[in-house]
Amino acid sequence: MPIWADRLVQSLKESDISLVTYVPDINIHQATQLVSADPYFHLVSASREEEAIGIAAGGYAAGRNSAVFMQSSGFGNCLNAVGSLCLPHRIPLPFIINLRGGVGEFNIAQVPLGRGTKPILDVLGIPHFTLTNEDEVEPVVKGAIKLCYASRSPVGICLTAQLHGGKNA
Amino acid sequence: MRRQDATKLLLSFLSEQPIVSNLGPTTDELWHLGDRNRNFYTYGGMGLCSSIALGVALSTGEKVVSLDGDGSLLMNLGTLGTIGREQPANLVVVVWDNERWSQTGPQPRHTATGTDLDIPKSTTVSTEEELETVFKEALSSDGPWFIVAKIEDVEPLPVSPIEPEVNLHKFRQTFIGPPIRLGQ
Repeated sequence: MPIWADRLVQSLKESDISLVTYVPDINIHQATQLVSADPYFHLVSASREEEAIGIAAGGYAAGRNSAVFMQSSGFGNCLNAVGSLCLPHRIPLPFIINLRGGVGEFNIAQVPLGRGTKPILDVLGIPHFTLTNEDEVEPVVKGAIKLCYASRSPVGICLTAQLHGGKNA
Repeated sequence: MRRQDATKLLLSFLSEQPIVSNLGPTTDELWHLGDRNRNFYTYGGMGLCSSIALGVALSTGEKVVSLDGDGSLLMNLGTLGTIGREQPANLVVVVWDNERWSQTGPQPRHTATGTDLDIPKSTTVSTEEELETVFKEALSSDGPWFIVAKIEDVEPLPVSPIEPEVNLHKFRQTFIGPPIRLGQ
């Protein structure tokens, strides 16, 4: 199992996050496989990214720390859930977003939201951090999640092809 | 049935069980009839009421009640699949069906046509023979049709070399005919 994925999932666990909701892609699958194998977590496969946010928000509302995995294209699916649910209610959810559209991208359809995700997070006032190597995974993920709860705001944690090798890793 | 009376009725059976209420009048009525700390009022996130309730249900052992709306649920029907897959024994979803988007109009909504979200001509097939029979019928009679065809996993073919822009152009041309060029 890739080191980045192991460190990412361990960091979630050590940050007391036990409910994980997601819509997969190949790289996200590398991490959610570990989540699924660990009985500490409850992993929920959602039909759409805004639904994944709704379920995670419900978990947080009931006192359970939650995180959401999605691809950058899926981030485009869930903007109203972010803007009208997470932000007004101040629901701190880490969004772990696999950023497509960067180095090595081969699919034109992945480029616009791959490029647009971070500017959209900026416009919404949501801090985000980009992971490009496995050594930064643990400090950045744990630090981002600490900020997430301290600020009662979602944070974006962006995964890249430099981190995981892309779709053909 | 009036939603306010129905809400009052439901409240009379609940003590501390969490309620998640859909945005708009469902939330307003719940607040007026029985504000309590165990109410989670959704002010935005249209469509997510029952998804939020699912997240609550997965995080507590108590019964959880979702007061959803027909228009909102239709925006997120996929969550019914997720609820079916998770099988939370402690979740109760109530969908108030007024057959309209009441908050914005009202404009009549899908259940107002009497179909109740049902597609009568729906079927599941698992062989090519069954598929052939039903597909021929679907092509020759009025729908809407909904055919679920059970398939098995096979090795994927190479990715097709499609140019999205060219594809759209060619497809569209088949409907509108060749473009009229200036100067011709």
